[in-house]
Amino acid sequence: MAETLLDIIQQSINGLMYGAFYALIGIGFTLFFGVMKKFNLAYGPTIMAGIYLGLIPLYRWKAPMWVVFVTCVAGAVVVGFIVELACFRYLRKGHELAPLMTTVGMLILIQETVVIVTHAAPYEYPNIFGDESLEVGPFLIRPDYLAILISGLVFVVLLYLLVQRTAFGRAMRAIAENPAVAQLLGVSVSRMNRLTFALTSALGGATGYLVAMTFGALQPGIASWMTIKGLVVIVIGGLGSIPGAICAGLLLGVVEFQALWFLGVGYRDILAYLLLFAFLVLRPSGLMGRPAT
Amino acid sequence: MKKIVVSSVTLFWLLGFAPGGAGAFQEEGTLRIGGMWALSGPAAYIGSSSKGLSALAVDEINEAGGVMVQGKRVKIVQSVYDDACKAEEGLTVVRRLADSDKVLFSLGPTCSSVAEPVFGILQKRLGDATDTGLQFLFFTDTAIKFGLAKISPWAFRNVGNEPAMFDLAFKLVKEKYPELKTVAVAYESDFAHSVSTWKGATEPAVKKYGYEVLDVVEWRFEDTEFGAQAAKLRKTNADILVMMTHTFTTCGAVKEFKRQRVKAKLMVGITSAASTETLVGCGQAVEGLIIPTNFAAISPKAKALADKAWAKYKADSNLHSVPAYENVHAIRGIVEKVGIKNEPATLLEDRRKVRDALAGLGTFQGVLGPIKMNGDDDPVKPRDVDKAIILVQAKGGQWTVFWQPPELEKK
Repeated sequence: MAETLLDIIQQSINGLMYGAFYALIGIGFTLFFGVMKKFNLAYGPTIMAGIYLGLIPLYRWKAPMWVVFVTCVAGAVVVGFIVELACFRYLRKGHELAPLMTTVGMLILIQETVVIVTHAAPYEYPNIFGDESLEVGPFLIRPDYLAILISGLVFVVLLYLLVQRTAFGRAMRAIAENPAVAQLLGVSVSRMNRLTFALTSALGGATGYLVAMTFGALQPGIASWMTIKGLVVIVIGGLGSIPGAICAGLLLGVVEFQALWFLGVGYRDILAYLLLFAFLVLRPSGLMGRPAT
Repeated sequence: MKKIVVSSVTLFWLLGFAPGGAGAFQEEGTLRIGGMWALSGPAAYIGSSSKGLSALAVDEINEAGGVMVQGKRVKIVQSVYDDACKAEEGLTVVRRLADSDKVLFSLGPTCSSVAEPVFGILQKRLGDATDTGLQFLFFTDTAIKFGLAKISPWAFRNVGNEPAMFDLAFKLVKEKYPELKTVAVAYESDFAHSVSTWKGATEPAVKKYGYEVLDVVEWRFEDTEFGAQAAKLRKTNADILVMMTHTFTTCGAVKEFKRQRVKAKLMVGITSAASTETLVGCGQAVEGLIIPTNFAAISPKAKALADKAWAKYKADSNLHSVPAYENVHAIRGIVEKVGIKNEPATLLEDRRKVRDALAGLGTFQGVLGPIKMNGDDDPVKPRDVDKAIILVQAKGGQWTVFWQPPELEKK
């Protein structure tokens, strides 16, 4: 009995730390939706492209990992800018579903480009935290996962300060509340959209760097994985809610790890999607989203 | 209107529906062969090596003057396609090789999950006009799932016999380490080769030699997180870890084993992991791993081949890629012996001749020694081969010989 309890706690710890990934990816999707009221399905590939660009200084010049990190972030911002330009900026108003299709197209375009360039062969991504776990009592803690959890907390605090304490954040919240009124008050919606893209892409690049490092190897399938997880998180957390995305990401991580431990790999995804289904039916507004009026 | 017609015809042509040239084959001095492997995706490292080794065989034959057909030396031209280890891609590629490129035979595919449906569309009953299946010859080098060649009489394989390989592996492990009694197992539940190797080859061997299976864990072919499975394996405290998983997940998993202090006394791996990719990708974490294989650079000839393949094509010589080299040479010998016409009009007839000769080939020369091709009437493994089994072990970042048959030792 005691052993089962320890297993549950160990898997919950793992799930929480891993769930920090999901939360960070979900926050990116949520920011897009909160500000622009549109889905950006090319967010996963944007992150993936950033991580792959980060490999260039690593493989070509054996650059230190901080250079790789900066390149990941900068690369994701550049790709995010291209996505904004190609999939959002010139679309006519009133065609709300159009970005859904343009970003699906961009998802395929980016993913296939990476497949062609890399032959989809796995690329090793060095883990600066090494291959040893920390022993905390009866529990084993992966230092890289712990770093993600801590980084996630730092990112969230910075994001909170940015959204709540700066003029940029106020403008962002104003657009999220009512874009027409915000524009009347002098906020440039198109400029804010571009800045939102830059912010979320930078966050994605930083998250992607951490993801690739813990995976140890990189392959293009990571783009679809991020897109699916991100969408599940924002639906469970509630569209447009950052606290919702955080809670949903952590919840999803814990559910997946417990399912994996007690039921096996076959049930890991089934349970995750059952959770999504349950929220869609029983609580469509998600954990912290606003109920539809 | 004229513009539309011209554009449509051009587009049709560009899309690959162009027929083979009328003056092709013998007249143009070529013998067309094909190759379809996973050249992209997680299995690309396997397919790329097969492609490199087959190209090396083609180079050798062409540099020596080519293949003697109808009293004339013709050069081999190889059409190569990427099936990405996806069944739907494989089905498209095989049609293209057979009908558009009109090749005599094809090497590949890499993945058993592609070979199964591709062999499924080949003719099942030779010479039966009512069987409209594709009359197309495969001499496979990689897809290793047991029994695949039974699907069609047009499917031949020069691949390892995994039940025999793991039987030998556990027999030898039992002899050398009699104190080891228990095993824990990991396999990829969504990958045909992994599942079939565990259930059809390794599990029977483990049980036959009296090992107690303490736990069996699964993960997916493209998984990257192995924390829960590693924790389960650690709890078993098994003497032997049986890793029926491919290089990508093996490397991720063994690193996680290290983090979680999973301490087995021995690790036995799947045949496909006996590659340089595993040593490079997994590093120290696979030290001591034992794998049954059919190829190791243990003779001067094998070493020379491995060096040449790496220098020319950056291709790793292993149990999957070396057969591609052997198969091209074997088919050259058959073509010269049976006297094909090598014309577009006689393509089906030529394929049938080569097929029949391959079925009756008996023994042919491989890189490490003779290889015996079973005929159509073999009750257990029709159109599959029997060849020497070697056990290799990862030591100091290299594959070393753990065991080899006495006849190879003499060489």
